Amino acid sequence: MSANSDIAVAKFLEHTDAEAASFFEACVHCGECAEACQFYLSTGDPKYTPTYKLRPMERAYKRDKAPFSSLKKMLGLAPSPVTEEELREWEPLVYDSCNMCARCTLVCPMGIDIAGTIRKMREGYAAAGIVPEGLQRAAEFVKKTSSPMGITIKALTAQIKHQEEATGIKIEVDKQGADYMAIFSSMEIMGYPEVLGAYAKLFKKAGLTWTISSVAYEATNTGVQIGSGPLAKEIVTRVVDAAEALEVKHVISPECGHAYGAIRWAGPNMMGRQFKFEVVHIIELLDQLRREGRIPAGGKDTRRMTLHDPCQIIRRGGLLKEPRRLLDESCSDFVEMKGAGITNYCCGGGGGVSANPRAEELKTAAFSRKVEQLNGVKDLEAVVVPCGNCRAVFEDGLDAYDMDLEVIGLSELVAETLDESPEKQG
Amino acid sequence: MSFVEFVEGPLFILASAIFVLGALWRVIGIIRIGRKKDISPPKGSAVMGFVVGNLRHFFPRGIFARRTALHIIAGYGFHLALLVLVLFAAPHIAFIQDRLINVNLPEMPRWGFIVAAEIAFAGLIMLWVRRISDPVMRLISDWDDHIGTWLTFLVMLSGCFALQESQSFLRGLHMLLVDVWLIYFPFSRLMHAFTFFLSRGNTGATYGRKGMNL
Amino acid sequence: MMMRQILALVLFASLLNVGVAHAQTTAPNSEANAKAAQALENIMARQRGEVVLPSGSDVPAPEGGPLFGPDPGPPNTLGAQSQSDYWRAYRGGDPADVVAAIESGQAMTTTGQQWRLLRENYIRKYAGWFPVGVIGILLVFHLVIGKMTISAGRSGKTLPRFTLTQRVAHWFMACVFILLAFTGLIILLGRLAIAPYLGKEVNSILTSASLQGHNLFGPLFIIALVWMFIKFVRGNFFQLVDFKWIFKLGGLFGGHVSSSQFNFGEKSWFWMVVLIGTVISITGIALEFPWLVADLRLLQLSTILHGVGAVALISVAIGHIYVGTIGMEGSIDSMLKGEVDENWAKEHHDLWYEEVTGKPASEDAS
Repeated sequence: MSANSDIAVAKFLEHTDAEAASFFEACVHCGECAEACQFYLSTGDPKYTPTYKLRPMERAYKRDKAPFSSLKKMLGLAPSPVTEEELREWEPLVYDSCNMCARCTLVCPMGIDIAGTIRKMREGYAAAGIVPEGLQRAAEFVKKTSSPMGITIKALTAQIKHQEEATGIKIEVDKQGADYMAIFSSMEIMGYPEVLGAYAKLFKKAGLTWTISSVAYEATNTGVQIGSGPLAKEIVTRVVDAAEALEVKHVISPECGHAYGAIRWAGPNMMGRQFKFEVVHIIELLDQLRREGRIPAGGKDTRRMTLHDPCQIIRRGGLLKEPRRLLDESCSDFVEMKGAGITNYCCGGGGGVSANPRAEELKTAAFSRKVEQLNGVKDLEAVVVPCGNCRAVFEDGLDAYDMDLEVIGLSELVAETLDESPEKQG
Repeated sequence: MSFVEFVEGPLFILASAIFVLGALWRVIGIIRIGRKKDISPPKGSAVMGFVVGNLRHFFPRGIFARRTALHIIAGYGFHLALLVLVLFAAPHIAFIQDRLINVNLPEMPRWGFIVAAEIAFAGLIMLWVRRISDPVMRLISDWDDHIGTWLTFLVMLSGCFALQESQSFLRGLHMLLVDVWLIYFPFSRLMHAFTFFLSRGNTGATYGRKGMNL
Repeated sequence: MMMRQILALVLFASLLNVGVAHAQTTAPNSEANAKAAQALENIMARQRGEVVLPSGSDVPAPEGGPLFGPDPGPPNTLGAQSQSDYWRAYRGGDPADVVAAIESGQAMTTTGQQWRLLRENYIRKYAGWFPVGVIGILLVFHLVIGKMTISAGRSGKTLPRFTLTQRVAHWFMACVFILLAFTGLIILLGRLAIAPYLGKEVNSILTSASLQGHNLFGPLFIIALVWMFIKFVRGNFFQLVDFKWIFKLGGLFGGHVSSSQFNFGEKSWFWMVVLIGTVISITGIALEFPWLVADLRLLQLSTILHGVGAVALISVAIGHIYVGTIGMEGSIDSMLKGEVDENWAKEHHDLWYEEVTGKPASEDAS
């Protein structure tokens, strides 16, 4: 026992609500979750069995919080206390080898949400300071600059200017009373700034007013990835305050996995109140605009394309049909990869894994499942990846496996294939 | 009081009481831990999600069903056959009517009983040998898993040993093991028989509230 | 014909036994015994051609020997005359000629007696010693020669050997086999090995329980057998390299032996299980559902084959368990983890190692 393990265990217990307790109680150790975990599948190492990753938290619960735990303690039948050594041994399992992709829940006969419980478990780890260095560094950046990659407003302004030049459309920053306020993941701002231009084009066509806040443009929630409630709250609060100050009606969550869940579902609970605006996901919004006829499709992209399903958007976000509807109208040769949809594999870099350099090798190993899927589609030319983080992981992964494939964002594709003839506008 | 009278009488009543009260205590204990009220604006119904989650996880999604076929067959074979045996075997019906409540359960023909027993044994053995012969299963299994499996197995085995109904000792042995099983149940992972609906339901409710397809 | 001679021999041998036993239990001190002895004496006398009058008869014995040649005996009998051919026909013809026996509508079959004697005096008497003997031999082997270790040590790298389904099929068979072996041995040997020591009451309970258990698990053995056959038949066909293995006695006493995925011993064991297992399954069905079999003699034959086959399998299984666990380092891994150490593979299944890895096995195996 040490101070660190005490802190972690206290947090474990605090976060073991009736839901997590029911998970710990119901697990029958059937091991099927291993069959769904791409870290297990790509390494064959049994320690990557999802339910095993929860062991320290489960032990803490069974020792100190579960029904009959005091009786079992009296009889000496309770599990032994969780030690710091054990916590450190589990650290790579909790951070490096869980994408929080929730594939395991699909196969679990007990329906246990292991990903969600890992999220709770990370609270204990973050509180005790047992965190991978890479994530720790990202957290420090966030505190200083609001962005895990250290993107300042200066850098953003430069990117906005470029996109304005490229599209010829003005992108207004800090516009009071706009309908929509867009936030982005750092990865998009740095790596794929074309998305700013795509937004500008699409929203102009749809006739929406939108803006970007100069104080809250970052959607990436490192607090959620690292498992720190206070940090997560700080990041969400920044966005909420800015949006409410600008009096926008909606905040657009970007093509990013966890950001949507962080602000849409966890956000109000962290802040303890509902927001004065609505949170929409960009895919949801584009689909809605398309169906309202406000962003009609024009010429289709003729390349042979497939769609990657980002876990947090499709499996855990429920947006299964929306991206497919948009794609069907944007490209003429769309093919599903094997296992697409709700059971699709993660890119391998979700859940903070891509922000954790220590997990690089594992991440690349996990990407092998994706490689298999992509190779299964004949003559594939491009893959649509509607998540900034997945996109970066894809580019690294395709590089590592020496594959030549274009990776494109969904918003950009929709913007590129937009019917721009003015007579249809209105 | 003979051995059989003891294990079918006072000990059975005690064991049943521990079983019922212990199981209730544990389920209520889990629910009573409570969870914070979710104040994010819902997109769907949590209650519906609870129900759907419970139904959904009766069977894994397509690709997983193929990967885990052995487990599904053995698991369902064992559980369903055991349920049938417990409720519809002639000696059990006689016992239930004699000792518990006077209900008219349909009595299975003997061949049906034998077939159910074969399936139950095959299923349980397969589940257990899978537990001992796979690195994943060996890593995640603990004593509770093995004790629960073996106790259940011994209850079933002693039951089939007593099939001739010619030795009262064998009947007594079966009942003794049933009593031990009932007492062990609420403190062990055998409780999954009652907790499964909570975990499935909780995940289902969370997902349902978010308007997700799960 | 051979069978019949053996049975006859057994019958003769056991008759001697029975005779001795009978003589020992006949105490002349009771009145009933005296009467029985007198009756026997009378029969023997009639056979010798003497005239024996019923006891208590006041008719004096005629003088000068029998009046009408051989003694006619009591009414409705042939007396001293014998019709052996008639009785032989009555008892049944060739026991092996089942169809003929049924069709000729014989009134009695006496093979039951032979069956009982064979079972009592040979199978029951000696069956238990085979497994015990195997255990003894293994014990001596283990103490003298010891555990077969991986001579190059464990490499730490592993090769996949059995899939999960193969492992589950194997252990499923193992569990069912063990249950059937124990219950079967109790049924066969309980009266001999349990009753005298723990009492008839205990034996009765155990036998009743075992019989029910044995009948219930029997059908599962058939499922296990079919499943195991399907999962393991690949790689179990005999090859040329297996004969070299035989000459080197499987390397049991040193020396390098080559083998592919399964060696000669494993292959033999596989086919033993399959063939004897099939016999046991068929005879087992006959015994569990006796109404399916019209001729009683088939059931008698079934118990013999069932018992002899089972004892053979149990005995070899003990050897199999020994080599699979404490007898050979690294063997159990294949069935618990599905993977074996590379050095284990090189030493015991070099050809398989080369096939799987594409690397030569010999460079550091010796």
